[in-house]
Amino acid sequence: MAFTRLWGETMDVKSAMTRARRGLREERRLYVVAVSSLAVAFLCLGATLLGVTNLDAAADRWGQSGRITLFLKDDADPQDVAQLRVVLEGLSDVREVAHVTPEQAKASFLEEADVGADLSALPKEVFPASLEVSLVNGVTRERSESIATRLGQFRAVSDVESYGSWFQKLDHLLWGARMLAAGLALLVMFCVIAVIGNTIRLAVARRRQEIQVMKLCGATNGFVRGPFVLEGMFQGFASALLAVLALLAGYLSLHESVDSTLAALTGSRVVFLGVWTWLLLLTGGALIGAIGSALSVRRYLSV
Amino acid sequence: MQGTKVVRPFPFFRAGARASQPQLAKPILVLEDVYKFFRPDEPTLRGVNLKVERGEFAFITGPSGAGKSTLLKLLYRELMVDEGRVLFCGRDIGRLTDKSIPFLRRNLGIVFQDFRIIDHWTVFENIAVALEILSMPQRLIRSRVAEALERVGLNGRGDEQTSNLSGGEKQRVAVARAIVPEPALILADEPTGNLDPHLAIDILTLFEEINSTGTTVLFATHDHSLISKRDHRLISIDEGRVVEARQGLKDWPGSGIHTLVG
Repeated sequence: MAFTRLWGETMDVKSAMTRARRGLREERRLYVVAVSSLAVAFLCLGATLLGVTNLDAAADRWGQSGRITLFLKDDADPQDVAQLRVVLEGLSDVREVAHVTPEQAKASFLEEADVGADLSALPKEVFPASLEVSLVNGVTRERSESIATRLGQFRAVSDVESYGSWFQKLDHLLWGARMLAAGLALLVMFCVIAVIGNTIRLAVARRRQEIQVMKLCGATNGFVRGPFVLEGMFQGFASALLAVLALLAGYLSLHESVDSTLAALTGSRVVFLGVWTWLLLLTGGALIGAIGSALSVRRYLSV
Repeated sequence: MQGTKVVRPFPFFRAGARASQPQLAKPILVLEDVYKFFRPDEPTLRGVNLKVERGEFAFITGPSGAGKSTLLKLLYRELMVDEGRVLFCGRDIGRLTDKSIPFLRRNLGIVFQDFRIIDHWTVFENIAVALEILSMPQRLIRSRVAEALERVGLNGRGDEQTSNLSGGEKQRVAVARAIVPEPALILADEPTGNLDPHLAIDILTLFEEINSTGTTVLFATHDHSLISKRDHRLISIDEGRVVEARQGLKDWPGSGIHTLVG
């Protein structure tokens, strides 16, 4: 027979499971309501985690397909520029180098800008010549910054744009999303403890006579608590599982249509929660359920 | 009782402890100068002294509110004595810790007037719970419950829902639950209070059969028709004091049955 310790008292797991099954059967309506409510809470958390996972994936992808723009001085010697191109093309981190003349820059700007005014009169000096450097995939942001700093020291270069500030903004966005997920996780934890605690409190009240009979027959507190803790654990697990399944169903039905749009906008595809994330959701749900239930039973079990 | 005797797993208030020979030689129950107060100036029990030997059958009687249930509650530690000592098999149960109380109760079978049967459970489940608490294997639980059902006259009715049983049958289930772990002492608190006179005699006879196998029985009742039919030891509580008669009403020291039950 399997025994475990529960707050210093021995609990017969097999017997507790049998009685928990009976409890779940008898209180099924109450538990269905509790599990549904908790599944919504877990769904909110899961959706936020899904958002964070996808933002992370996009940031990772963008970060690894880096670009550097070297703005050239107006009086840059063409020989210096050619030498700079040779140096750049010799770097293993560089995939491609393109020289953009002021005319090309102006034409490209006029094509992409949609400000509703005629900007064709702008002088071409407003648009400096530049070298557009595409880095190979997998170059880290730190490496990209270090290359940009070194390139800025060339005589022909007036300014370097490594898009660090843009990535910083993305980092802030990701940090905000992670904080939101953490806050939501905390909120969900309190929700689960409160809902399961109250559900178990109701179950304890409805099964007061059973508990009284057991205690008069010589049941220890561990014996009485055991099934309630398992029932709470089941509720937490079932809610998290329902939420993960609902997210998966949503992901499978929508990802094809969303994928093409997202790929066009960001160059990345929608990804589902990682195995560890959903395993954490399930085990976390079960654990918080057990804790909520144990706290409630401990408080209300005074027969 | 037919079949093999199973050694109770928790005979003396601690998991795994066994009763020693000196403990077995002592009276099963001794109350020494016991006081219980619910109001400071008005004790419900005042200086109760009592000794119950192993294998005895004793009626505890007295008018309603005399303190019969209080006395029994002190024995299964639902209440604590305010003064004096209650010794069960030589152990002062007033000094037991909260964690030891379940192990005391495993040595007692308790039967109530209101049956305390779980209506949505089957007869089997209601009786088996007393053995599940002892972590007995299911196979043994099944055979022990079947034996208990046979003893209380409900042979083969384990699968029935208890909500469908009559009052007398429910009380038999309660008795079966009390005897199934083979306790040393049975405490019956007005077990016939909700039954008609004919069924009351049946239940009393059932307790006497249980007593004949060596189990000590304390049977609280204020039903004088039951008391007058038997010559068991009589312990009467009135205004918190105990008066005894060794052979029922035959050697009752008072002026008649009315002094017993009010």
